Amino acid sequence: MKKNKKMLAGEETPVVNDISAEGLAAVTGQSEAELFSFVEYHPEEAERIGYSEYSYWKSVWKNFLKKKSAVIMLVVFLAVFIFSFIAISPLCTKYRHYTELESNKKARFTTPNKDYWFGADNIGRDYWYQVWYATQHSVMLAAIVGVGEVVVGVIMGLLWGYVRKLDRIFTEIYNIIYSVPTIIYMTLIALMIGKTFMIMCVSLIIFNWIYTAKNIRNLVFMYRDREYNLASRCLGTKLGTILLKNILPYMISVIILRMALAIPQTIGMETTLAYLGLLDVQEPALGLLLRNSREQFANYPHILIFPAVIVSLITVTFYLAGNAFSDAADPRNHV
Amino acid sequence: MLKYTIKRLLQSLLTVFIVVTIVFLLLRLMPNDYYFTEDELIKLTDEQKEDKLRAAGLLDPTLTQLGKFYKNLLTKGDLGTSRRISNGQPVWELIGEKFGISMRLGLIALGIALLIGIPMGILQARYKNGIFDHLGTAYTIFINAVPRLVAYSLIYMLGVKLFKLPSMYSIRDPGRSSILPIVCLAVGSIASYALWMRRYMVDDLTKDYIKLARIKGVSTRGIMFKHVMRNAFVPMAQNLPVTFLLTIGGSLLVESFFAVPGMGPLLTRAITRYDTNVVQALVLLYSVMGILGMFLGDLLMSVFDPRIRLAGKGGETR
Amino acid sequence: MKKLLAFVLAAAMVFTLTACGGGSTPTTEAPKTTTTAAAPGTTASGQTTAATPETTAPPAPAANEVTDWVHYLTQVNEMETFNILYSQANKELQVLTNCIDGLLSNDNYGNLVPGLAEKWETTDGGKTWTFHLRDGVKWVDVKGTEKADVTAEDFLWGLEWVLNFHKNEAANTSMPIEMIQGAGDYYNYTKELDEAAGKALGIDKLKEMVGIEAKDAKTLVYTCVDKLPYFDTLTTYNCLYPAAPQLIKDLGVDGFKACTNENMWYCGPYVMPTFVRENEKVMTPNPLYWNKDCKRFNSVTYKMVESGAQAYQMYENGELSYVELTEDALLTIHDNINHQFYQNLVEARPTKYSYQIHLNWNKNMEKSEDPDTNWNTAVQNEAFRLALYYGLDATPYLERTNSINPLKCANYCYTMSQLVNFSSGKEYTERVMELIGITPSLDNYPRYDAAKAEQYKKQAMEELAAKGVTFPVLMDYYISGSSTTAADTAFVFGEMIKKNLGDDFVKLNTLTYVSSLANEVRKPRKASIYINGWGADYGDPQNYLGQETYGEDNAYYSISYVNTNDITEPELIEIYKEFTKMVNDAKNITDDMDKRYEAYAQAEAFMLKHALCIPWYKNVSWQLTHVNDYSKIYAPYGIQTNRFVNWETSKDGYTTADYDTFAASYEAGAGK
Repeated sequence: MKKNKKMLAGEETPVVNDISAEGLAAVTGQSEAELFSFVEYHPEEAERIGYSEYSYWKSVWKNFLKKKSAVIMLVVFLAVFIFSFIAISPLCTKYRHYTELESNKKARFTTPNKDYWFGADNIGRDYWYQVWYATQHSVMLAAIVGVGEVVVGVIMGLLWGYVRKLDRIFTEIYNIIYSVPTIIYMTLIALMIGKTFMIMCVSLIIFNWIYTAKNIRNLVFMYRDREYNLASRCLGTKLGTILLKNILPYMISVIILRMALAIPQTIGMETTLAYLGLLDVQEPALGLLLRNSREQFANYPHILIFPAVIVSLITVTFYLAGNAFSDAADPRNHV
Repeated sequence: MLKYTIKRLLQSLLTVFIVVTIVFLLLRLMPNDYYFTEDELIKLTDEQKEDKLRAAGLLDPTLTQLGKFYKNLLTKGDLGTSRRISNGQPVWELIGEKFGISMRLGLIALGIALLIGIPMGILQARYKNGIFDHLGTAYTIFINAVPRLVAYSLIYMLGVKLFKLPSMYSIRDPGRSSILPIVCLAVGSIASYALWMRRYMVDDLTKDYIKLARIKGVSTRGIMFKHVMRNAFVPMAQNLPVTFLLTIGGSLLVESFFAVPGMGPLLTRAITRYDTNVVQALVLLYSVMGILGMFLGDLLMSVFDPRIRLAGKGGETR
Repeated sequence: MKKLLAFVLAAAMVFTLTACGGGSTPTTEAPKTTTTAAAPGTTASGQTTAATPETTAPPAPAANEVTDWVHYLTQVNEMETFNILYSQANKELQVLTNCIDGLLSNDNYGNLVPGLAEKWETTDGGKTWTFHLRDGVKWVDVKGTEKADVTAEDFLWGLEWVLNFHKNEAANTSMPIEMIQGAGDYYNYTKELDEAAGKALGIDKLKEMVGIEAKDAKTLVYTCVDKLPYFDTLTTYNCLYPAAPQLIKDLGVDGFKACTNENMWYCGPYVMPTFVRENEKVMTPNPLYWNKDCKRFNSVTYKMVESGAQAYQMYENGELSYVELTEDALLTIHDNINHQFYQNLVEARPTKYSYQIHLNWNKNMEKSEDPDTNWNTAVQNEAFRLALYYGLDATPYLERTNSINPLKCANYCYTMSQLVNFSSGKEYTERVMELIGITPSLDNYPRYDAAKAEQYKKQAMEELAAKGVTFPVLMDYYISGSSTTAADTAFVFGEMIKKNLGDDFVKLNTLTYVSSLANEVRKPRKASIYINGWGADYGDPQNYLGQETYGEDNAYYSISYVNTNDITEPELIEIYKEFTKMVNDAKNITDDMDKRYEAYAQAEAFMLKHALCIPWYKNVSWQLTHVNDYSKIYAPYGIQTNRFVNWETSKDGYTTADYDTFAASYEAGAGK
């Protein structure tokens, strides 16, 4: 910055005020003829459009790869996620399904050893299987919620931003969801309808889409009245096309960020719900393992460490990768 | 401005009305049996149950009940009495007991978070990509990565085992016993204030007006404090009132962890025990606080940034 | 009829940590006494009981005693009311029992001892009961200032409050209505009144309609519906507690209903000046308490902790006077001989609840309203039930409750032990076990008989296959969807069934309910089995066996849980009718208590021989403590158990060896 300032202040560099041909000639010491020559006029050439090898997704990818930390984390996460399938496959464990786990009085709270790679829980069940099974389960829940939330949020957000009549209604919905802690709604749903995996997915989507929608709507506000959209509308382009082709591409970076952040948020929410007893204990999830470990970790730290490390890994990955990817996806950052 | 304020307030009232009504109706959708404890379900005959429900006005048509609820609320400010949390006690009294405690802890934690978080963010932005910045970012990521439940458990263990701090909040010794809950409340907010502050400042540092200021020869310190910080405060100012008001609402996890007798766990307890009057009152309170917070945030923002004219934008400021 | 009922699932499994075991000492004697004295006047009818001091121990301030006791409860067990007449839940009664006294109390052997009444008698086999109140009992306010005398009329006001529909909303009415003459009529009478008139009622109408009379300021007479030789045990229960008319007048009906620690009046050993909801409560001695001889703490503090783990932490820091150990803490201490608390592991005494596997005779399908004929047909087959009865070795299940000495939790009878004794000193359940041929042991589970189980299994499969039952029979079992403890236990239960009976016979199908067992499971009849505990409300086997009879409206389990009256199998109906007759015959024996108990024991043995339900477990947990549990009041009924009076304590905390000594001397003292 400092260098820049000096240069701009221009104390040392000679100032070139005169950019006429003579002036240039004077500076470079070459004659006018040497410097310039006439180009022949071709009508076909004049119609040609400049073209570069630019591809949006390639650039996104290239930019993304520049962020080393994010790439490493993402690779680690993918490795972990893929490994979770291997970990509960016959390669690593004798159990075929969660319900086949066996308790073992002698192995209660066993610390990790060659039989129990992650140790065992309070009734001597293999913790390895539980942790990896729960990882899959939780990532799936989070992914469903993340995708669902973004899909609903984007559609609603586009409508919200573009259809002025709907603004009042959407603002009201936003206020209603925003001003009451989600936990109220979640508790009511859990008590009235149930606590199963699907119910939790759907209700988390119901209460989270509005934030994405709000984000999208603000962006729509920024872009909808730009000249090219006005022109498009004047030319009779349909609303749907305008939204999809003209406006949506600008939002990809925001959408990716929201989706990436929704995943750690969902897992965090899962932990809170588990703490409140709003998750079904029959379906293992990382949140439940963390909740259960809370009482036991003072004496048996391994019960807490394994799920906590995985949750942290997921969170950090999506946090870093989400930010990096959304930066990369912003066409303004592509040069 | 006044006209805008009044319009905004009226709109807010409408929102509160809708929220409270929805929750009221949701509660009535629950089967009547939830009105009874498990013990009562056993001990009372069907006839007795019917009698009790009728006496409590729960067998009236839902709309009549809703009308009665608003009539009592508007004419007498009466939200009824608690049934399960504290039998027969007026709801406002019950909430009042807890409000002060949550507020005290929340305010201290908020103050600490602002005092540490904001300078931290500023320093991070000032020495971007320096060691301090990396440390700060690592802290932020750590706090956000570890689930709250786990982070609090760790703080709890450290505090109790290493520093021999009391593990439970005590009314009689609020000083020492408040340390752990306040630390828990603050760690998260410190990270988020630092994060915001840093992001807004870094964003602003690349803006044209900063370049201009540099060209004009303003010192870095001057740029930081006179220009960047003030602008970075604007979005912060908008969020501050909401955060502040929700802090008063108490933190569910922290308060149940340290047995702080505050507002935090009250709501979920009231719902799981079907204490409908308490739930309604709390929803009313929370929605008023939430909406008031948004409104105050907008006002505060326009104070910090004179360019923002609320009235013109018709409430679309967020 | 249905009284203090233990919801095993809800209460025990969700809120308290069931799993507690530990202690390196298999030598600890079973706390169950075999020879409790039949205290004069507690059981035999027609006998006048002389006043004896509450217990013999005078208040001796030994140097090593704890003077300020710090107790803990989990936050979910915070009190919901201070009105002892309204409360029906242990979370309030365990505290309020220290604030207000009843007519009688119990000692550490469960015998009745005088309370506000210094003596009591019945002259006609239990139809009318006269209680003589002691002098000098005062109502005090929270500061300990004298407010009024406790008189016989206060008990009328108390009963009026309980029975008045508009005042107490039917809480605690079931036992008075069942036992006291005219109580049911009075309840119905108040219900007919409109709210204002109901609330305005005094005791005039009560005197006219109900069998309760204040002969003078110190003499109280109850008239029962029938000869009820056990009626005096009911007075330890809060439904017959007094209420101060002046206080009702001062606070108004609504105010009294919602009374607080600040404005209520006390007549028990403690007053409670500090109450911070979900944080702590502090009780201090009532300066005007009538019993100057009883030993009390200078203060009793309840801390409302978040979890058992927190409680353990606080005990470690010296912030609590006792702690019940969680699964992991117990194991850590027990596995480490150098642990600072290794020597201090002591076993608590069993709680008053007796847990059973109740079999649902008329179950519906999981997903529809249609009856689950497969299960219903199977369970009504006696061989099927006996296969379950003999074929389940409960040890792994019991380890969930007490992982060190699981068999201490074994329960072989329907009635809880130590409820009543024969005049010879023999304990009632001992007799029942004699009749069903079980000798409790700490080495193996005596009811398990693989050969018998195999034989019954074969028989059942043959008989039932002929009736079109398909195997394995699915056994639907519901647990709370939010309780991991319950899920773990159910997991072990399922494994146990598979291991003991094979997977071709029955299969446990664990399902969850969201928030209400009653609404989601019991009423739609979704569960095949319920594992539930029952704690007595008065000292008579009728309180247990009466819940299981056939064709009677007040048989709680028959009506509300297992749908006994819908049985279709004629053979089973006959068995039930026979059982019901045996219970009712026993009930009618009021002149000879030994005969009465013998008849009940026969009925219970009959019930168990036909496996009408399967006795399952009782709660014995492990703890670290500064109190000798054997010096505490031990009552299998009523609300006296948690009174902080005459506790033997030690500043150092007791060791396993100490507790062995206590248990031995307790048993030795039982006959006295």
